[in-house]
Parts: sequence; structure tokens; C-alpha cells
Amino acid sequence: MLANSYYLIAHDDRTGRSRLHPRATGLGLAAGLLGELMLFGRLRAMTGDLYVVSHEPPGDSLAHTLLDLLVAQPQHKEIRTWLAYLSQDAADQVGERLLRAGVVEPVTRRKLLSAQTLYMPVSPDQRNAAAWESIRLAEALGRRRSMNLADRVLVALVVATGLTRYVFFSPQQQRDCMQNMPGIMSSLPDDLVQLVQYTEAAVGSALAAGRR
Amino acid sequence: MARTTLTGPDIVTRGLASNRLGVPSVVFFGVAGAAPLTVILGAISTIYAVVGNTAVPLVYFVAALILSLFTVGFVAMSRHIVNSGAFYSYISHGLGRMIGVAAAFIALPAYAAMQIGLLGLFGVVAKGILAASGVKVSWFVCALVGWFLVAILGVLWVDLSGKVLAVLLTVEIAIVLVYDFVMLAHPHGGRVDFGPLNPQQLATPEVVAMLVLAIAGFVGFEATVVLSEEAKDPKKTIGRATHWAVFLPGLLCGVSAWAMSVNAGDIVGRAKADQTDLVFNLVAAYVPEALVNVGYMLFLTSVFAAMLAFHTSVTRYQFALGRERVLPRIFGVAHPRTGAPIAGSLTQSVLALGVLILYFVTGTDPLVHLFAWMTVVGGLGVLILMWATSAAVVGFFLRNRRRENVWRARIAPVLAFLLLSVVLAATVVGLGQLLQVTPDSPFNWVFPTAYAVCATFGIGWAAIMRGARPDAYAGIGRGTEGFVVPEGVFGRPARPHRVTADVAHHAA
Repeated sequence: MLANSYYLIAHDDRTGRSRLHPRATGLGLAAGLLGELMLFGRLRAMTGDLYVVSHEPPGDSLAHTLLDLLVAQPQHKEIRTWLAYLSQDAADQVGERLLRAGVVEPVTRRKLLSAQTLYMPVSPDQRNAAAWESIRLAEALGRRRSMNLADRVLVALVVATGLTRYVFFSPQQQRDCMQNMPGIMSSLPDDLVQLVQYTEAAVGSALAAGRR
Repeated sequence: MARTTLTGPDIVTRGLASNRLGVPSVVFFGVAGAAPLTVILGAISTIYAVVGNTAVPLVYFVAALILSLFTVGFVAMSRHIVNSGAFYSYISHGLGRMIGVAAAFIALPAYAAMQIGLLGLFGVVAKGILAASGVKVSWFVCALVGWFLVAILGVLWVDLSGKVLAVLLTVEIAIVLVYDFVMLAHPHGGRVDFGPLNPQQLATPEVVAMLVLAIAGFVGFEATVVLSEEAKDPKKTIGRATHWAVFLPGLLCGVSAWAMSVNAGDIVGRAKADQTDLVFNLVAAYVPEALVNVGYMLFLTSVFAAMLAFHTSVTRYQFALGRERVLPRIFGVAHPRTGAPIAGSLTQSVLALGVLILYFVTGTDPLVHLFAWMTVVGGLGVLILMWATSAAVVGFFLRNRRRENVWRARIAPVLAFLLLSVVLAATVVGLGQLLQVTPDSPFNWVFPTAYAVCATFGIGWAAIMRGARPDAYAGIGRGTEGFVVPEGVFGRPARPHRVTADVAHHAA
């Protein structure tokens, strides 16, 4: 699942904290959720707008809920709007989905006044699985192995939101990644290209406003 | 509001609005840059002292009127630009990308000068407060402390949160109103003098030139449109907030300037003697000492908030330009976790430190030559920006009125452009008088010339970009979202296939 993989890459596996600005992570996860529906063939994008092309329920409950919401709110079409809306609670939604799948466990951190529930890998198996997500991408790109569509979208979202250096550790890997990006982008279907571009733009706007 | 009505907006609209800014937050954000207390205690008394003209209150009212007129078209245009950044993106939409880049190259030094000038004021005020409590330090040390705090907060990208700003601003306004009431209740010679409000004074060129000083007190209101992406209802919230951000400081500053002159009698003489202590000395006889002390502390926090706001403005400009690849791409790199534009923040801090050291080493007066001069020069730059933006609004709606009415799309923008042209011309002619230099001094012409050089350099740079990097050139002024906005109006391809993220985040 696209958003699951993105979540595991975007959060530190030891502290459970978001590696990016929380708003950027939220936008990346929102794009992951919309991207899943596109990969399932339920959703398409045209000139910045989203269109539901099939009402058939997808196998995943979160994807199903999102599809229902998209169907019920046809007056909202813009990718920007949906990214902004979904980004608000995407981290919790995807975190709970990972919890249901047994990939993470809830950890409550007490701060001065508030308690915060983080979803993070705890057991060695969980942590290996989480770390594997980014290693898998770096390996595939480094060995020039062909990647499936979901992984190519994942790489594009990682780059678009600014997670590159958490996946590609060495400068050489980063340069390789940048050289491969145009090829990866041109291999994506048009819908996903738009999704990635709007995500990147939304992250830029969120950071430029500097509000938290 | 809409949230409580049963037939209100749908779940998505509500969900988005709940996390976004309403009119008050946007106003606070906009007015923070021109913290009213900084303007009233720092700028107005300095204007009285330096220019020696009593038409100051009138000048603030007129400036507010002109800017209100300007705001009408400005806000109307902001409704038609998807990602409305700062002034320069409006200019590049209305007058073309070359002028847009020229405007950006004027904006950077202008805001930088404003921020550095405020450091001088901060140093002097902090020195005064410490001296009153028995600690003797140089203004330079105080300014360095202020500089250090701003530099650190800038790198951490800590913007004073909306709530802190709101509380500070509310208290500031309250204390200004109390002071004004006290001063008006105790007029000099027992009679309230309406002379400073006589519109006849506007006929003198010096007064027109003073408008630039007043306009420098409104500079923050550009920031309101930057938040259009963050506002509950971009169409209404930003429009209202921008009008408030002009109206509120205009009224406060004008009334306060008048109240000062009513109470002081010979306001120019008192201002020369007391400098930034003027208002406190005027009210000290009538209010408890605690209220004066609170005023001093608020003055300091208000100057600090303004410094931080201008620091953020400069870095935000650099960040936007870096992302659009007008400036080197390093400026467009944000810290992944905090989102802080590190390079821009450090550049501005280093520049400010250099200027501070220069002033200290040469022993130049921090109040007149650092605060007053730099803010006048910065104000001139911002005035040029506003003037160009007003022309851009006219140009934008000339091509297509976009269903705005005649007042908003034609009359108000043209009137604003004409008035700002007059103010700008008078400022360039009268700048020497405002800086109080002799007619043969090079400072009469060096600052406008410097801006002209910056603008020319910007146009040249844009021309080079058009030749060498046409795709980057096409993105100028289109904001971070520009390259995906499917619009063919400005000659952009409808949807170019390219990812710019690679350069933005990872150059470092």
C-alpha cells in the first residue's frame, strides 16, 4: 500500500516522529491515499481535478471510506482541495491502518500537558519491515532493477515532499536518483504525474507560509 | 458562523475552514509587521524631530486613504491569481516577468533595510530601559542581543504564533488609546488645536514627500495576501483583513500623532529634545508610573516583533525567488523538518550584523542614521513596489475585467496609481529633505539611483533567464504552485511534464 510505505519512510523508526514538517508529511500521506485509489483504477485526474471512474469498493477499508467521501462530495474536484483536506488527519488514518495490519504499535508519549499517540514499529520484526521500505527503493534504483508502478509513485512522492535523503543516504545515490527522476516521471500515467506535481506544490506553499 | 447552521457548507469545506485563519488572525499577522506601537513611539516622534513639520497626523490619514484605494484593486486582483505571493508576483502577472524580477530585486534590499533599521531603534530603546534601571550599556550591545535573538528565531523559523501576536497587539492598541485619551484630555494651553489637521498643508511638496514615511508604517499589509492559501474563505477573508490592516494603523497613528501635538504644543522642539521618549514624557505627568513602564516594555516587544516580521518577509521573498530559480537554488531549500529557509535567514542575519558593526565602528548615530535613514530608504523601496503593483493591477484588469465591477477593476486602481505616482515623484525629489542632508550631498540621489540600478539589474537578469532557462523564466511570479496551474493566459504551456522538486529540496 502506497500510503503505508510512505508513512514508514516519513517517520523515524526509533522516535516515531515525523521526519518532515508535519504538514508536509500529511500532504505526502494524502497523496499516497489518493494515489492508491488511482492505482486501484477508481480515480482519475484531469487538469488538476479528480474524477471517480468506478464505484466498486476497493479491498481496503480506508481506501473504501475515502472513495465514499469522494463520491459523496462531487462538488469538490480539485486535487489541491483534497490534498489539503486529507492531509489534516492522514497521519492518524494511515497509522491506524498500519496498526490493524500489525506493522506498528501505538505508543503514548506524554508531553508537558498533552498526551500524543504515535504509531511506530516496536518489535525487531516490525522495525526490519519498516526499514526495508526505504532500503528496497534505494536498492532497486541503485541496481537499476525495474520497479513496479506503486514503487515508482512512491519514489516520486518521496522526492516531491523532500524525503530523498532518508531513502538515498549517500550523495552518489541522491545524484543517481535525480538522474532517474525524469525517466520515472515520464513512465507514470498522467493522473499520477499530476498528483505528484500538486503534492510538491502544496508542500512548497505550506512551508513558505511557515505557519504551524 | 457557518459551522453552526444546519444547511451550511459541506464536510470538506468545514474541515478545511476549521484549521484555517479568520479575519482577525490575518489582520494580526499583517499589522504585526507595522507594529503600531513601533510606528507611534518610534517613527512618529522621529518624523516630528527629523522633518520638523507639524502635518504628521494629516499625512497618516492621507496615506491610509491612498492605500485603501490601492487595496480595492489589489484585493480584487488577488482573487484571480491562484497562488498569490507577495507584490512581485502581482507585478509579474500584470506587467510581465521582467518588471516582476525588477520588483523582486527592489523588494529584497527594501525589506532588508527596514529590518536593519529597526535594529537601531531596538538598540536605543533597550539601552534607555536598561539605563533607567541603572545598567549602562551601549546601544550596540543591545542591538546585538536583538540581532542574535532574531537570527536564532529566524533559523528555527519560529514565527510568533497568532495568539501571542494577538495578545501583544491588543495590549499595545489599548495602551495607545489610553495615552491618546490622556494627551487629548490635557491639551497644551487648555485648548485642543485642530491646526495639524488642516488639509491646506497638503499643498506643500515637503508634506507630500512625508507620505513615504507614513506609508512605511503600513508595510505589513502586503503579508495578508500571502496568507490567502491559509484563509478560511480566500475571497472574503483576505479582502476584509487587508482593508482592516490599512484602516487600523492609519487611524491609530493619525490620532496619536495629533494627540501628541495637541498635548505638547511645540511638538517639533519637544520631539528633538526627547526623541523616542517623547510620548512617555508627555503622559508621565498624568498617568501612574507603572503605566509608563508597561509602555516601555511593550515598545520593546513591539519593535522586536516588527524586526522578526521583516526578517521573515525577507527570507520568504528569498525562498520564493529561490524556488522559482530566480535566485540561486540554495535559497529555495527549506529545512525538511521545520521548513525554515536557512540560506535566506543566514544571509539576512549576516548582512544585518555587517551593517551594525559598520555603524558602531564609524560611531554613526543609531537613531537618525540607522533607524530613520534605513526605514526611509526601505519605505522608498516599498513605495516603488506599491506604485508598480498599482500599475500592475491596472494592466491586469485592462486585458480582462474578469467580471469585477468598474470601481474595483478600473476607477480605484487608476486613482491609486495616479496618487502613488505623485507621492513617489515627490519622495524622490524631496528625499534629501527627509534625510536632512545638504542639497549638494550625494545622499540626495544615491538611494533612488541604487534602486534604479537594482531594477535594471533585475530586468537584465530576467532577460538572461529567458534566453538560458526558458522553463524557469516561465515560472517567474507563479509561486510554488504556478507550474501546475492549468492556465494558458500568460503564455504558459498548459501542463509541462517536469518535476522541480529535485532541485528545491536536495541541492544541499
